[in-house]
Amino acid sequence: MPTSRRRFLQQTGISAAAAHFATNLPSLALGAESTNRQRLVFVFSPNGVIPDHFWPEVDKKQGESEMEFKRILKPLKPFRDQTVTMHGLCNQIQGDGDGHMRGIGCLLTGVELFPGDIQGGSDTPAGWSQGISIDQFLKNQLQADPRTRTRFGSLEFGVMVPDRADTWTRMSYSGPNQPVAPIDNPYKMFDKLYGQAKNRELLASVLDDLSDDFRTLEKMVSVEDRHLLQQHQALVRKVEKDLQVELAAKSDAIGHAVPELPPNVEDQNDNMPQITRMQTELLVNSFAADFARIASFQITNSVGNAKLRWLDIDEGHHALSHEPDSNEDSYEKLIKINTWYCEQVAHLAKRLQETPEPGGEGSMLDHTTIVWTNELGKGNSHTRNNIPFVLVGGGLGIRGNRAIDFKRTPHNRFLMTLAERMGFPQETFGNPDFCGDGVLTGV
Amino acid sequence: MGDATYPAFLPRLRKVRSVVCDDGCCGKCVMKLNLFLLHAFVLAFAICSLAHHAVIGAEPASRGSGDPEAMRAAGAVIFDAQCASCHGESGQGTEDYFPDPLTGDASIGELAELITDTMPEEDPDACVGPDAEAVAAYIHHAFYSEAAQLRNRPPQLALQRLTGDQLRSSLSDLYSHFAQIHRDRWEDLKANQGLEARYYTGKKWDEEAQKIARTDPVVDFDFELHGPQKADGSDAGIDGEEFHAHWHGGVRIEETGRYELIVRSTTSFTCAFGHNDDQLIDNHVQSEGRNEFRRSLMLTGGRMYPIKIDMNQRKRKGETPPSSISLSWVPPGGVEEILPAHHLMPGWVPPALRLETQMPPDDRTYGFPRGISVDPVWDEAVTSAAIEFADLASVELWPDYLKQHKKDKIGRKKLLLQFLDELIAVAHRRAPDPAASKGIIDTATAAHEDETEQIRHAILLTLKSPRFLYPTLDVDRTASQRAANRISLTLHDSLPGDDWMLRRIEEDSIADEDGRRALARKLVDDARTRAKLREMFHHWLEVSPADDLRKDEELFPGFDAAVVADLRQSLDGFIDSVVWSEASDYRQLVAADWTLTTPRLADFYGEPWQAADPEQTSEASITVDWANGMARSVADEQVHVGVLTHPLVMAKFAHHRTTSPIHRGVFLVRHVMGRVLRPPNEAFTPLSPDLHPDLTTRQRVELQTSPESCQICHSKINPLGFALENFDAVGHYRIMEGDRPIDATGGYSSRQDEEVAFQSARDLGDYVATSPEAQSAFVERMFQYFVKQPIAAFGADQLETLTERFAQSGFNIRELLIEIAVISSRQESH
Repeated sequence: MPTSRRRFLQQTGISAAAAHFATNLPSLALGAESTNRQRLVFVFSPNGVIPDHFWPEVDKKQGESEMEFKRILKPLKPFRDQTVTMHGLCNQIQGDGDGHMRGIGCLLTGVELFPGDIQGGSDTPAGWSQGISIDQFLKNQLQADPRTRTRFGSLEFGVMVPDRADTWTRMSYSGPNQPVAPIDNPYKMFDKLYGQAKNRELLASVLDDLSDDFRTLEKMVSVEDRHLLQQHQALVRKVEKDLQVELAAKSDAIGHAVPELPPNVEDQNDNMPQITRMQTELLVNSFAADFARIASFQITNSVGNAKLRWLDIDEGHHALSHEPDSNEDSYEKLIKINTWYCEQVAHLAKRLQETPEPGGEGSMLDHTTIVWTNELGKGNSHTRNNIPFVLVGGGLGIRGNRAIDFKRTPHNRFLMTLAERMGFPQETFGNPDFCGDGVLTGV
Repeated sequence: MGDATYPAFLPRLRKVRSVVCDDGCCGKCVMKLNLFLLHAFVLAFAICSLAHHAVIGAEPASRGSGDPEAMRAAGAVIFDAQCASCHGESGQGTEDYFPDPLTGDASIGELAELITDTMPEEDPDACVGPDAEAVAAYIHHAFYSEAAQLRNRPPQLALQRLTGDQLRSSLSDLYSHFAQIHRDRWEDLKANQGLEARYYTGKKWDEEAQKIARTDPVVDFDFELHGPQKADGSDAGIDGEEFHAHWHGGVRIEETGRYELIVRSTTSFTCAFGHNDDQLIDNHVQSEGRNEFRRSLMLTGGRMYPIKIDMNQRKRKGETPPSSISLSWVPPGGVEEILPAHHLMPGWVPPALRLETQMPPDDRTYGFPRGISVDPVWDEAVTSAAIEFADLASVELWPDYLKQHKKDKIGRKKLLLQFLDELIAVAHRRAPDPAASKGIIDTATAAHEDETEQIRHAILLTLKSPRFLYPTLDVDRTASQRAANRISLTLHDSLPGDDWMLRRIEEDSIADEDGRRALARKLVDDARTRAKLREMFHHWLEVSPADDLRKDEELFPGFDAAVVADLRQSLDGFIDSVVWSEASDYRQLVAADWTLTTPRLADFYGEPWQAADPEQTSEASITVDWANGMARSVADEQVHVGVLTHPLVMAKFAHHRTTSPIHRGVFLVRHVMGRVLRPPNEAFTPLSPDLHPDLTTRQRVELQTSPESCQICHSKINPLGFALENFDAVGHYRIMEGDRPIDATGGYSSRQDEEVAFQSARDLGDYVATSPEAQSAFVERMFQYFVKQPIAAFGADQLETLTERFAQSGFNIRELLIEIAVISSRQESH
């Protein structure tokens, strides 16, 4: 492990304070290794948006303008230079399933759902997606190459995803009929990321107390029997010693700075802001430790009905999203809700920006692209035209400060663009009928 | 060959020179070909001449005069002179010449003959006749015989840690203490099979919608589009396009191991297993082409795991496809099959621990696992099991506990302390006592703010403590607690966790022998005992799910995995039906003229394996109505001789193409007659049938083991093994081997020098059933397997007393188990 990199991470750790300190010393980021990592995060929020307060105006002739931050996107303003809105991308996948189901099930897969028995509010019933999603596809590609292989490849975060597996709650697929469940409990995600290390620490903390036990009980047995107990005690002491060495080495090493989560946060609607923050920290941490280069971050689910009470909104999100635009009260609430989601994306961007790229130049945001998306273009029409795709960050090398209009382009071409920008160009992705013209032009 | 059956108090034989022979044969001591050889010769020669002088110098008149003491004294002099240089002063062996101790069970006569013929090695003529008799008498009395060893080194109880199985079982019962321990008695197994099923038409759950309520023996349905029907096939009023069906109950696990559960369904369903909140399979969404769901699970023998399947046929816009569902499994060593009814129990079943950690194997020197040593691998496995337990405790036990105590209104914090105290108390085998638990709880709560972490910390401390890991470290507990600790350990490999038992401990009603016997009687009839007993029999018969019993496909076409799987069920089923029948008769076990059969076995093994007409097998004591798919076979006293001729055992003790009378003989000598065989000193490859086309298997064995040095042991081994020659390498009864008739005559010479001759396996079985020697061997094996301590540690005459009691009870195996548990719980012996 090159010293500079190690020193660098020791400095940054994961705490905001340390990261802040490190960003003021950009030279530290110039380690010997320049790995040029590329990362992608798909952030999902549900039920469409209020287009008029979301999409920037775009010059019709040019098909592109400078970014303009309307109400909903305002939280992203600090990231202007790395933000792109992509109007005009349409999820045109037909077939089985209602709008919400196809909205999420075809969003990252670009292919139809299987026939099945899950009946939505309209259309025919459906099952799972017929193909792999772009995040899992890219993960497989990265994992196939030792130079880009990471411990997990991809991580699937969730926030308040209902505890049931159905077409509305799954965005990611590792193959046909193989939905990938997001982990929406930060403690569970923590266990997945650091469980082993945590268990070692726990073990280390009990060993000393065990020795006392042995000393007490030794007195109860005969001389012959004491031998086994003494052997056992010696073993405990040896494990204790080994663990001390192991843990000391670990806390020196990179990527093992274990973040601290606030205790006893229950999986409840009202804890959503806190859970989102916790998951964000874990995501940034696992990227810093290079546990994965692909992630999804699914806040609730398609048709998500979270009640954003902390915004003084008592109705469920999905119920509100069905209200006509003429209902000013709900219209306003939906703008607030969408803005809150945008704040979460902005916070993630901020945390990535605050964290210097390990072993590379600039911040982690410079090497990461956040793709913020949604299953619908607009809630009350259930349209899957103009899916709100917003890119933040420099992972894909797409120039920021742009509002682009692709004018009714199948979103499959966007998925192909993601693959190409990650270094894995594809002839098609998902249903080939929607891939005819190749990757997006003008990106 | 597998485990030796040395009594636990015998020193473990050194294996310095022994190479376990492929044929399980036993050779006499062979001189080491090393540099010391010449030296040894010279030395021995010198000693020999000296010895003659010495013997001559002694009083020749005193020998052979019938005074055993004088004879032994003379023998001692000769031994010191001629034998001690190689065998050591008290027969303990010497590093350079003969490292193994002189111990065994040959009679004085046999020893004298052996010495006359072979000793001293370099000059067998140097010690013959009366000299040899004197030496034999001396060593037999001084250190060779079992009695001498007992005299010399009174066996003691040794402290042991939990074995892997004991750890697994103890954790299971610790978990179940909170959830409720399910007791599955033999009657329950016979009476309660299948899963409880409810079928509803449409979407509703009300009484009107419920069209069928019944117990389904197995889950294997093709409802097509007509939907579920009544048992007689008539319409139940269920709409095949829109209905929901629910099965719930438990899965009986009889043997610890890895199981694969398989649900196949074209319909939406979910399956919870182990705990209501643990969804094993979530197929809430039915998606075309996704019809098979396999899950691999490590499950514990003697435990019942709750299972719940909820199936939902949803009406679709357009065409609704037909619905179907089946529940199958692959048990350890088995093949895929629909999960049989007798492995299912209908109705509510409490949650059960799913522990994935596999413990490393324990010491098996004496033929049963014992916890006599600790090492890092074991320690790591304990940690892993403890953490796994802690995780389940925090996500299942604690939330359930909270729910159960909702009305207590003592506050979450106090409730947590109470929960932890109860958990620590059961794990540490004592009554709840907040003061005693304080140390652990304070440490855990001080170390973490998070409740889950506090629970995990406390549990890790609890389970890594010697208080949990050493079950008999309990001198400071009450007499009742200590008795219950031992009886639970003996019968269930576990700790007292059942609520009713904890109450009896609290009442202190288990302290006296009657109380302990009553407890043992109650605990013996339990799936946990059955699981341990089954394991004991597997050890005894050396059969394991891991055995590769494939044989030559040309010679034995059709002997495939499915036949082997049926044989396993047949053997296990046979043992169960004998042991758990009213009579529980050991003699049936080794000599019954029937077995359990299946259609597949009847096809393969022919007429003697046909199912008997139930009308004609009215033997009230043994019925097999519990075992689905299996039936009692017709009686045939030549083909069926209890477990001794069961094809699984016969195939295990056989080569790829031929039988192995040596393996079979060694098994019978050691395991059935309880005799001691020294391990062979050299590896031998059995003579190839191709090189001796004119010889039968028996003749080849006789040829190969004909040297005198081999005959020391093979004169015991071969005649027993030959008696099973009617059973080929797959256990098929035969009267010819190729074009030569089978000679299945055999014999045995007992410890009392009684000669018995067998015409066939039937005579052998009848002898094993009635021989006190075999009965005593069985009692000792049972005792040591269950208690994991030498029986002599509970009194020098304990084996004799217990064997007598066994005979008085009509050789009742269950009663024997109860007595074993009672003896193991006697306080004065600890």
